[in-house]
Amino acid sequence: MDVFLTSPWIPPEWVRAHGLQPRGIWAAENLQRLPCPLSAGVCAFAESAVRFAQSRAESAAVFSTACDQMRRAFDAAIFRGQRQAFLFNLPATWQTAAAGQILRSELERLGQFLLAMGGRAPSPEQLWLEMLQAGRTRKLLLESARASSSRGFAEAVARFHWDGSFSPPPPAAPADQIPLALVGGPFLASHWKWLDALEAAGGRVALDATEMGELSLAPPLESETVAKDPFDTLFRGCLDNTIGVFQRPNARLYSWLKPRLASRQARGIVLWHFTGCDLWRAEAPTLRETFGLPVLLLEACAEPGAAPRDLNRLQAFVETLR
Amino acid sequence: MNASPRKLTLDEWDDRHEQLRRDGLREPTYGGPLRRHVVRDRNFRLQHLQFDNSPAALRLWNFLLTENQRLHQARANGDKLVGAMKDLGTVPVMAYALPSMRAFYPDGAWWTPCLMECGDMLLQQAETMGLDSSFCPVRAMLPAFEHGGHFPRPDLLVCSAGAICDDFSAIAQRLEHLGHPILWWEMPRRRQPDSGETACALPGGLSAPKIQVDCVRAELGRVGQALGELAGKHLDDVWLADGIRAANRVRRTLESLRRTVYAAPAAALPALEMLVAEMLAIHFCSDREESIAVLDGLLAEAQSRARRNQFAVSADAARIFWVNPVADLRAMNLLEEIGGRICGTDYMFTHALDLIPEDLPPLEALARAALADPMVGPASDRAARIVRECRANGAEALVVSRIPGASHCAREGEIILQFARREIGIPAIELEISPVCDAMRTGLRSRLQALVEIARDRRPA
Repeated sequence: MDVFLTSPWIPPEWVRAHGLQPRGIWAAENLQRLPCPLSAGVCAFAESAVRFAQSRAESAAVFSTACDQMRRAFDAAIFRGQRQAFLFNLPATWQTAAAGQILRSELERLGQFLLAMGGRAPSPEQLWLEMLQAGRTRKLLLESARASSSRGFAEAVARFHWDGSFSPPPPAAPADQIPLALVGGPFLASHWKWLDALEAAGGRVALDATEMGELSLAPPLESETVAKDPFDTLFRGCLDNTIGVFQRPNARLYSWLKPRLASRQARGIVLWHFTGCDLWRAEAPTLRETFGLPVLLLEACAEPGAAPRDLNRLQAFVETLR
Repeated sequence: MNASPRKLTLDEWDDRHEQLRRDGLREPTYGGPLRRHVVRDRNFRLQHLQFDNSPAALRLWNFLLTENQRLHQARANGDKLVGAMKDLGTVPVMAYALPSMRAFYPDGAWWTPCLMECGDMLLQQAETMGLDSSFCPVRAMLPAFEHGGHFPRPDLLVCSAGAICDDFSAIAQRLEHLGHPILWWEMPRRRQPDSGETACALPGGLSAPKIQVDCVRAELGRVGQALGELAGKHLDDVWLADGIRAANRVRRTLESLRRTVYAAPAAALPALEMLVAEMLAIHFCSDREESIAVLDGLLAEAQSRARRNQFAVSADAARIFWVNPVADLRAMNLLEEIGGRICGTDYMFTHALDLIPEDLPPLEALARAALADPMVGPASDRAARIVRECRANGAEALVVSRIPGASHCAREGEIILQFARREIGIPAIELEISPVCDAMRTGLRSRLQALVEIARDRRPA
């Protein structure tokens, strides 16, 4: 059974260890094939996730509480009759024992849900193998990030989120392109053409810090020696490596960005967010103030694809950085 | 001093106030003519509102409109000020349990653009700070902090995180980036206990798994420790229990007032004053003892009117259940102008109206109360309570009032409306009310009028 995950912070190895197939819903090529009619303020990504999950009755969907939009998308899914859905309570804080206990119990609850969906109880060895495999793939992806083409890297990460596999992304074409950081919310397959447009305009993504890009790639396990309690290692990895705009405070995000923006020599930030995403949109001034870089807000709307007006803005942004 | 219930303009209140003074009205220190809030504080919206004519309503308005001054005075007197954010009703119960400490909601700045008819420029300033109209009007809080001139800067800022509105979370985070440290505490999204989990009963007929109650209790323990450190005293269970009892006194009075006004065949007090009165529950308008006195006065007035069979809104008015607070207070007047009346409300803080359990350890009781927040649970829980209260109070129609830009409004309205239509089959609409809704007044009026007409048409002949 496919289990569609709406958040990169829900560990796919935990799903796979239950014998089920985790799939990052954002990596589905047909997630946002058609524009969906939205009432004012509804996030198109969250709505697409609800519709996508609904259209696959034989699958299960895991929503997360990382944002109000997705939390309430789960409410909408349930209200519309979705039965095979789970809401994962991802704590916004991480510094306290209370937050840790909530996270641990959510992983356990998710396990129970997966069993109810027909999964098998994972042995510690099986879980460890899945963790190792996922960790190795993430490591390979992280190592390839610097030298890959913008689109190739996005596609490779999406493939990992879709089926867990690694396919080496094509190298970046050597060119005098402006290095930029792409920071923000879900960047879907239907958005990849933005990356072509960016390269055509003379820029390149030196750092893909979207939620489904490098931000979603937790560092590999410290040791490949089998842990005494793999579940505990999984839990601690989630607690330590979840880095999101939804966290409070969101200092982890800025600590993560700072060295990477410097080492990748990013000259500007493209802040990508869906219409209605307050969490990312509100970061624009803070990103500017913290890193002293120009920030361009690009808004993904209900319509798939790139609007000419926004393409024009992106081109102008790159041009100003020449 | 008793007069038949009537709505007065600000001009009429000038005369009425003079008359009341001549008749021997005794007012608290913050009392006086309402006009001064326009002249001195530039609360121009008052000129376009209709007020209840009772001395109790006068006291309520003066209490509300002097909050910032009273906070400044409290600071000058050496009190510690706590800025509680988002939880709407829990942290203030803890803060007021300590001597010489007051808590208020900087969130309350969301009404400032309405009261000042945007003359404060807070929304425009928020936009220059990166928070445009895609965010809820609570963004007014940010420039109010940065530039001062409204509420005093608190000595401690506390904000719940997790299952809260994205716009509020984002605005509060921006505030912290601007140099205002915040103590964040985790509020998990409330859920039903799974089979095999220990369930805890919450106020409002809800339940949550013990692990969530334990989490919130631990988090409130951290908040309590910070409050104690600020006060220089240990916030122990004895003080907390006293604080809970005092908060419950406010809640009991408010419940009596709501029952007297909403459940009765006709409304003894207007919707606008009732909205303000309900707001007192969340942080006592920065003075717990005085808020009890204000509510006692309103309750006495409502009961007296009911006994005299005199009402502020006629029995013929369509009985409307209203969901979410309005960004423009004038909308409540508008509803009554077109023949509606409020018979029940969910202004997003029903958990602050329910009694806090007094038979549990205080932090446990507060954790359960906090988890009963309608905004941290599924929209269907909120809808179920709304339907229950619609039935209990004989609602003939339902209004879900959207708050512009608020992340929760994008979804929950659809669920609440569909749930209500399915369960009780009453007409229901969703409408959006901006901080100054004059420009859309015609449209609002038409929509509300249509709702009221349909509700009346459905009455048995």
